[in-house]
Amino acid sequence: MSSVAVYIVRRIINMIITLLFLIAIVFTLIHLLAPSPYALARIWVGARATPQALQAVIKAYGLDKPLYVQFINYIVDVFTGNFGIDTMFKKPVLAVIKVYLPYTLQLVLTGTIIALIIGVFTGAIAGAKKDTATDYTIRIIYLVTWSMPPFLVAILLQLLIAYDLGLLPATGVVNPIYTPPKPITGWPLLDAALEHDWPYFTSMLRHLILPATSLALVSFGLITRLMRNTMIDVMNRDYIRTAVMKGLPNRSVIYKHAMRNALIPIITIAVLAFATSIAGAVVIEDIFQYHGMGWFTTQALFNLDYPTILGFTFIVGISIMVANLVADLLYAVVDPRIRLE
Amino acid sequence: MSIAVLENPRLTLKVLLRNPASAFGLIIITLFIVWSIIEGSLQVVGTLTRHPSLGWVLLPYNPLAVNLMASNEPPSIHHLLGTNAEGQDILSRILYAAPIDASVSIVTVFSAIAIGGVLGMIAGYYGGWIDEVIGRVTDAFLSIPGLILLLALTILIGSGYFQSMIALIIVWWPIYARLSRAQTLEIKSRYFIDSARLSGLGDFLILIKHVFPNMIDPVLAYATLDFGNVILTYATLGFLGIGIKPPTPEWGEMVSAGLEELPGYWWTAIFPGLVITIVALSFALVGDGLQDILVGRINY
Repeated sequence: MSSVAVYIVRRIINMIITLLFLIAIVFTLIHLLAPSPYALARIWVGARATPQALQAVIKAYGLDKPLYVQFINYIVDVFTGNFGIDTMFKKPVLAVIKVYLPYTLQLVLTGTIIALIIGVFTGAIAGAKKDTATDYTIRIIYLVTWSMPPFLVAILLQLLIAYDLGLLPATGVVNPIYTPPKPITGWPLLDAALEHDWPYFTSMLRHLILPATSLALVSFGLITRLMRNTMIDVMNRDYIRTAVMKGLPNRSVIYKHAMRNALIPIITIAVLAFATSIAGAVVIEDIFQYHGMGWFTTQALFNLDYPTILGFTFIVGISIMVANLVADLLYAVVDPRIRLE
Repeated sequence: MSIAVLENPRLTLKVLLRNPASAFGLIIITLFIVWSIIEGSLQVVGTLTRHPSLGWVLLPYNPLAVNLMASNEPPSIHHLLGTNAEGQDILSRILYAAPIDASVSIVTVFSAIAIGGVLGMIAGYYGGWIDEVIGRVTDAFLSIPGLILLLALTILIGSGYFQSMIALIIVWWPIYARLSRAQTLEIKSRYFIDSARLSGLGDFLILIKHVFPNMIDPVLAYATLDFGNVILTYATLGFLGIGIKPPTPEWGEMVSAGLEELPGYWWTAIFPGLVITIVALSFALVGDGLQDILVGRINY
């Protein structure tokens, strides 16, 4: 096998071990809090279930079996995507997540892309003009947005742009007067584009801008700071000095020579920004009444819907592990000097 | 040149105060902590002696008293930051809630340092399978964004002041484990550890006497920044309605209550949000300042 294949296999084995630990932690917590089969059954079907229903769940889930059997069952369940039945919709958790997750992903991906664009440019400028007024201004701005709670950013945007200026809708996913397009890919925005349903597409895009910008404002500081630091590093290299001495204009040195090289570490931090945005989406979807997985999580929380929250937690954990692997591979592709170990 | 923060508190303070940004942060943090101690003690004594009014002796208004005649009043001389829908004075509520956020962040960060520091030092010092196990558990926790993990924990252990504190500690220790493991690995390879071992010192004493003092400075610099992160996260829990039991005011919960008064009565949501921002920003500024001192980015 090539070294890349070996590396990928080893990382995937590592990921599975980490996931097993995560399952063990959640399993232990659940069993510490619910030591009896009845208490366990209440976790899976809700506190208001009848004794008969609880009995049925104990039978169906094998909650009266020895602990190690339950543990193995739980591992099999997580790996096969069986997270139980959602107590609100009475549907499998995975089916519910499949409905809401695409909305959140299109929001979070848009937010991360906006954050990357803002972060890379502000960071490059700040780094290239280190210790000038521009540098200080950019640093103050990102420190402030970074220190803002995500909900405050969202509320301010909603107040100014939606309520005061009336430029964009304040709440919702799409204007309810439009009928949704037939699902082709399961991604609503993409489906609308594929079916040339432009009114629906535009309406959805307009509803996406404010929450996505809120997410971007919260997380771009991460990217700006890293970009600034690597840019300072790169600007001190010999090939930059050569470029300056060749008489290249400043703009060309900064954007063509320095920025391209400073971009490499950004790949890793993009995953972190993505992870931050998924967490931020919980609050931001609540404020904008954007009905995605984040909004649904808050609903599940109020209804003590254990299976959905735990299922969502596992799915987020697995996706971030995969994203990290992809980032590390990309890193090696972009910068061939880096060896995968 | 870098300095050891803990060994030179006076010099560290001097350097921090010379920079306007970290000086601003330091002043706000001092005010926040001193006020939280005074107000917190009054509240505790008030609860213990069954005179809860002691809790608002120093405040302009009773933060809990509902006065529907004064509902949603804009900021004025009487109510500097306005009143909320129940006619409660927002400034009084913000000041009344300060000790809650302060205590949560301090308890969380120090517990996280204690748990994560010990596990990280053990993992880094002994290596082998101990390191593998601790490392995997740390990875498992860190693979999930803090807030999502917090929601999962909240649904398992319930919501409220102490429950949130426990959940925050569970979420917060892994990063310190990773940080102190990396520090320990670096320190382990130095000669003074070898000589300590040769002189017959046991592992436990080496960890306490030689590894710990050398790894704690970067951990504390990160922790300073982290107090702000905990406050932000706790405020988010409050915003989602799971940080503390009503009617006790909490900054995040105040923003969430104010959300229903938007867009008309903006001050009900914006002012508590700004206070969270200012406090979190102050911790970030001082944390950045400490970091600069530690890596020697500052001349003095």
